[in-house]
Amino acid sequence: MWNQLRRRYEGGDGTFQLPSPWPILAIGLVVYALTGIYIVAPDERAVVLRFGAVVREQGPGPGYHIPWPIEEVYKPSVTQVRKEEFGFRSVLGGSREQPTEALMLTGDQNIVKLQFIVQYRVKAEPDGPRNFLFNVRDQRGTVRGAAEVAMRDVIGNTTIDDALTQGKELIQQDAQETLQKILDSYDSGVEIVTVKLMNVDPPEPVEDAFKDVINAQQDRERLINNASGYANAVIPQARGEAAQLLNEALAYKEAKVAQANGAGQRFIALYDEYVKAKDVTRQRLYLETLEDVLPRMNKILIDERAGGQVVPYLPLDQLRVPAPEQVRAAGVPQEAQETK
Amino acid sequence: MMDRRWLSVLVIAAAVTAVWNLATFRVNEWQRALVIQLGKPLDRDTTAAGLYFKVPFIQNVVYFDKRLLDYDAQPREVLTIDKQQLVIDNYSRWRIIDPLRFYQTVRNEPGAQSRLDDIIYSNLRENLGRNELREIVGNKRSTLMDQVAERSNAKMTDYGIEVVDVRIKRADLPEKNQENVFNRMKTERERQAKKFRAEGEEEARKVRSKADKEKEILMAEARRDADVLRGEGDALAVRIFAEAYNRDPEFYQFVRTLEAYRRSLSEGTTAVMSPDSEFFRILKDGAAPR
Repeated sequence: MWNQLRRRYEGGDGTFQLPSPWPILAIGLVVYALTGIYIVAPDERAVVLRFGAVVREQGPGPGYHIPWPIEEVYKPSVTQVRKEEFGFRSVLGGSREQPTEALMLTGDQNIVKLQFIVQYRVKAEPDGPRNFLFNVRDQRGTVRGAAEVAMRDVIGNTTIDDALTQGKELIQQDAQETLQKILDSYDSGVEIVTVKLMNVDPPEPVEDAFKDVINAQQDRERLINNASGYANAVIPQARGEAAQLLNEALAYKEAKVAQANGAGQRFIALYDEYVKAKDVTRQRLYLETLEDVLPRMNKILIDERAGGQVVPYLPLDQLRVPAPEQVRAAGVPQEAQETK
Repeated sequence: MMDRRWLSVLVIAAAVTAVWNLATFRVNEWQRALVIQLGKPLDRDTTAAGLYFKVPFIQNVVYFDKRLLDYDAQPREVLTIDKQQLVIDNYSRWRIIDPLRFYQTVRNEPGAQSRLDDIIYSNLRENLGRNELREIVGNKRSTLMDQVAERSNAKMTDYGIEVVDVRIKRADLPEKNQENVFNRMKTERERQAKKFRAEGEEEARKVRSKADKEKEILMAEARRDADVLRGEGDALAVRIFAEAYNRDPEFYQFVRTLEAYRRSLSEGTTAVMSPDSEFFRILKDGAAPR
């Protein structure tokens, strides 16, 4: 085999013979021509340059350009979203603050700590990729600088209370608008996808004071709630007491009337009887009453005429506490006689 | 002895490469070029990107960037009209519009940067020094910057440079002033907190006292109504009694007196009585009728 090759390329005089250049040149040319084939991925747009000047652009799919150094192709991604962080940097397993970037002066000359991100991509419109590639040297730096300008501009026209609370949406929107305007003025071919505020906080030295305001707000609600609770307890209780008073009064009235009716009826009944035999009834009532009353009493019977001569001596201190048995044992007439 | 065919291929390739390299130059889409002949720049139009020819050895080509370039200044202090120190960190976007003039005056980008530095900073200081802090931070910022850019641009055209814009990235207070701001913010918040608490107190007192008031009113009304009812009851009773007893007031008095005896003369009461009384009449006078 080796001998065969040697015979093929060795001249008659034994010197080494080069093969013909043409087939090799032809193969070289074909390979060279093949380097011009390129494929544009679905997320890319191709820009073809001839001697450094743009000659055509192309969407996704295969394509061919005259090989280098005559033509070249650039294929920037138009869907890939790039992200920039401001006020912090993502590091492995967390984030690190960047105070100089994060602290901003607000319109009412307070300082607020603000962290945000900007997402952007190459503009999808026809001139986008071309502008992105050739109009700005440092695309990333340009986006970063313009984003800081835009955000500080917006914050500089916002009060700290708005920035901390309800104004977030508006700030994001305004900043995105301003940023896009700046980048458009550079014909940068950059499209801002979103500007998003991550954290908006008061700076550390005043954090506690801000928290205390929130606490104070809650304190206010709590005080008011307590008072409402008190009111809710007191008023029904008062209503109950009032109803009780009224009911008691009503009961008194009804009782009084019923009692009066009863007593009145009783008197009328008695009177009806009395009319029939006035003297007898009168006498009877009198005697009945005394009969009822006298047994319970101590009695001292003194004749008036005797009383005129004899000094009636009343041992008041002895009379006061009589032996109860004695009194009860004695009948009325008997006792009266004895006394007499 | 080398093959003649190979020799010719190599010679042609070398010749083509030499001519390509020495006699042509290409201007990329993002570049401007300046042809310099024996040290002297030629006024040749190479604005459009593409392939150009030149005389080998005698003519050299210098490239400039056509793209938007970046100038980022160091943060510097500026004094505002209301005597406030502000730390300004600004940037500028600029581009080379006249390579010939650019080459003649500042020669290259570092040279341009230092010239930009001088001119933009002096304009900035002058312009910001005529305004208040509030205006610089807030609503007038972009107008001020437009003015600075315009004036800087007017001066930089002499150097073949266009200043596209000048913008303030950061306008912050120096460290020592920040302390003051923080203190002010703190007192401001403390004031708010106090206000909220006082408001709570106020509202709570209102609610409580209103409840107390309502309670008082409710109770007083109830007492009034109750008294009215009691009075009605008493009046009604009196009327009923009167109606009954008016039939014979004397008899009523008699009956009522007896009843009073029953009630008031209780056990242990001592009575000194005369036998002349109605009760003892018979005891004394015997059973003969009167």
